[in-house]
Amino acid sequence: MAVRVQFENNNEVGVFSKLTNAYCLVAIGGSENFYSVFEAELAETIPVVHVSIAGCRIIGRMTVANKNGLLVPSSTTDTELQHIRNSLPDNVKVQRVEERLSALGNVITCNDYIALVHPDLDRDTEEILADTLNVEVFRQTVAGNTLVGTYAALSNRGGLVHPKTSIQDQDELSSLLQVPLVAGTVNRGSDVIGAGLVVNDWCAFCGMDTTSTEISVIESVFKLNDAKPTAITSTMRASLIDSMS
Amino acid sequence: MALKTDVVKPKIVRTYELDNFEKLLNGLKIATCMLTESHQVVDEQSVLKRLNALTINGPADGNCCSCCGVGPFDTRAQQIAHYKHHWHTHNLKRKLFGKSPLSLGQFNSRQDDSSVSGSDSDTEESNSNPTSELFAAATRHCKAFFTNKKGQVFCIYRCILHHRKEELSTDGDGTAWVDRCQRLTLAGYQRWAVLMVSGGHFAGAVFSGGVPVVHKTHHSYVTRRGQGQAQAARDQHAAAPRSAGASLRRYNQAQFLEHVQEIMSGWENDLAGCSLILYRAVGSVNQSAIFGKNSPLKREDLRVRPLPFPTKKPTYKEVKRVHETVASIEVYDTMELFQKALIASVGVKTTSSDPNVERKKPQKSPNKPVDRAKSRERVPRELPTQLMSSEDEGPCYIDSETPVGWIKTLSEQSSRGVITNSRKDLLNDCNVTCPASSDSEVENCPEKKDQKKKKKKKADDNKQEIKQPPKKQPQKISPNIKKMWKLILGDECHSLETILEGWESAELEAACNTQDPADGNTALHKAAIAAKPEIVTQLLTAGSNPCIKNHDLKTPYAATPHADTRIAFRLFQGQFPEKYNYAKSQIPGPITLELLEQEKEKKAQQKRAKRQRDREKQVEKIRTNKFLQLTDAEKAKLDEPRCFLCGARLPKKPFEYNQYKFCSIGCLQNHRNVRPLKMSA
Repeated sequence: MAVRVQFENNNEVGVFSKLTNAYCLVAIGGSENFYSVFEAELAETIPVVHVSIAGCRIIGRMTVANKNGLLVPSSTTDTELQHIRNSLPDNVKVQRVEERLSALGNVITCNDYIALVHPDLDRDTEEILADTLNVEVFRQTVAGNTLVGTYAALSNRGGLVHPKTSIQDQDELSSLLQVPLVAGTVNRGSDVIGAGLVVNDWCAFCGMDTTSTEISVIESVFKLNDAKPTAITSTMRASLIDSMS
Repeated sequence: MALKTDVVKPKIVRTYELDNFEKLLNGLKIATCMLTESHQVVDEQSVLKRLNALTINGPADGNCCSCCGVGPFDTRAQQIAHYKHHWHTHNLKRKLFGKSPLSLGQFNSRQDDSSVSGSDSDTEESNSNPTSELFAAATRHCKAFFTNKKGQVFCIYRCILHHRKEELSTDGDGTAWVDRCQRLTLAGYQRWAVLMVSGGHFAGAVFSGGVPVVHKTHHSYVTRRGQGQAQAARDQHAAAPRSAGASLRRYNQAQFLEHVQEIMSGWENDLAGCSLILYRAVGSVNQSAIFGKNSPLKREDLRVRPLPFPTKKPTYKEVKRVHETVASIEVYDTMELFQKALIASVGVKTTSSDPNVERKKPQKSPNKPVDRAKSRERVPRELPTQLMSSEDEGPCYIDSETPVGWIKTLSEQSSRGVITNSRKDLLNDCNVTCPASSDSEVENCPEKKDQKKKKKKKADDNKQEIKQPPKKQPQKISPNIKKMWKLILGDECHSLETILEGWESAELEAACNTQDPADGNTALHKAAIAAKPEIVTQLLTAGSNPCIKNHDLKTPYAATPHADTRIAFRLFQGQFPEKYNYAKSQIPGPITLELLEQEKEKKAQQKRAKRQRDREKQVEKIRTNKFLQLTDAEKAKLDEPRCFLCGARLPKKPFEYNQYKFCSIGCLQNHRNVRPLKMSA
């Protein structure tokens, strides 16, 4: 389901958090409100980790992540990187990249299989991205914008893109991504989807301003109504643990 | 640029030529380039519909790349391969910059050329589908575009269709535009007014069906001629000048405003019947003429619209031209012709809408007032007549009446290269003639130069000249004087005497006081520096002035390094106290031989005394040393009044400690530190 949340009176929750199917990153904030919303929703299934990138809280825009790995910009300090490595599950690869377009979250959007990237992204970064996150990389634009990470939110079940994306483009993108896409808004008409929304396969968090219509669009496109953590991570996990213990 | 030649001059139809215009309006539609896509409204229903469609049909719909014009793809692998191809990325970027995509062949050939992007050739432009450019150009344009049944495209100024503030929607099929355009044919909509106010000129006319019904022009003198700018504008950003012209212009401005407002109120009925009132009035002053108090026009009135293009000075002719231009409609027979013309006009960046107005760059910008505080640039001007006339009279010399300032400016000008060659020659002539001419001029010339330095001095002060000898003699120095200088440096006193005797008294004095141009030394200086007291005395008797200073500003006395020479000066002063004014010679005072003897005697005595004292000191030192070498017991035995520790003579009341005597407390303390009481006991 989709949850409304605010980060210190700011509705751009995608800026201050990163959600994947295997873990969740939240920014170190003044209060624990933001963190506790994520914690309440996710803690049973995936780890929720406090991090900062280069001392900043805008981790959602600086990093790119899926269940396989996490890419952080070169400005990340060694201690931060070490902390991230310690906190995340062992099978998540964490990699630091030297990229001119350092706000990786703005120039890359991905699910667990496919990544759309800014047309000008470095070839080396593209390779690292493919290796670390285990995705196919496509250079694309969303509604004439090169900042694909800013204007799109993807999960393995669906995607929400910039409201001005033409039907043709939506069709092509969804064909490429192999998931249904719709054009829409968050935060009462904001077109910066990536900044207003974080989503994984069973849960989404959006800004407090998001209207109920927007929420229902989000829930329908990301198929959150019936969604639960995949069997392997919830029900089977419990039985597995039972059997193994 | 093959493109330019293709552009066909459009036919012009006026709106008041009703027959032609109505023909044109047959089957009127707004051009597609004017329309925008209506925004999508995202709601749940449409999303669900879309999602259903997606799930039913699968993603096969989008199984192609519209950006590159490829597809549908047969396999997923093909699709992925295409999206990963550089060609796709390149086309994406081209799309971002509003360019048409390249075909694969074009892309490959470009790769071979290795000149990626950069300047795109014209041919490519003409091949491209210019819809996007067209839209961009069309929405910005000051004209609206329509099509009719025949497929003709025509452009009408937006300003005659709607006010700037009422935006007609371009969504849907643009019916609002069509309505406005068709309305123009109605009888009531053919009555227009054009008003122009600028720089004290007013011109206005009311046209009905292309014919002027009333018109009026008026002019007042309100702009500052040669300076540019209206007087009112000038008054705003500086202290208002109070010249006669300024007040005249101010008065005129007020009169002009009043007059134009009168005209406007007089036209009240005419203006009320107009469907359109076009005006040009830049600035608050001009606008107040049209919209001022009691004016029948209101700013809020939607009929009142500014002109969309620049105009010339408001005259009746210009008003007629403006009306004609605004009423004209450009008709292109086909869409393609129109597209080419539009793109050309956008590309060339000149508004083809108004070819009649030539934009001349004004030579003086009217906003730039003259800064009178700054000095103007120097303009080469004619020389004064006196000098001009003297040019053809042969050599010229400057007489005492010629102001010194002239000479200065002349030389300045020559150094700047302002004056012509002939004038330079003239200057040189002046310089040359001065020293070469007769005696009286020799006297005059240095005086002139003196004047340059001390301008207050009067020219004909001859007495002063004797007392204050010239600082700079003419370059030439007679060989005799040179010989004398040489002799002074040498050893032959007698031959010097003969030379000195060779001159007559007046000449002698002059010769003695001649300064060496190199360092300003006179003969006396030279003798003093060479430390020759006899020659100094000789020269002083011969008439050498001891007050002359050389270039180091030293008198002969101050310049000499030798004591005897100094004494020679003083002796001479003692002998002849009246001969010179010694006040400025820096000689400390007169002296006679007797005094000199006495002084010598005194000095000798002092020396002897000093020698005596030194000897005594040495004896004492030896004794002290001897005393110090003695042991303590011997010291005690000796009854000499000496300090036990340092051996110095004891004062009258010595410091005693444990039977020993000391010269000072310091000695006593030192002694006690070295040998405390117990040990010594």
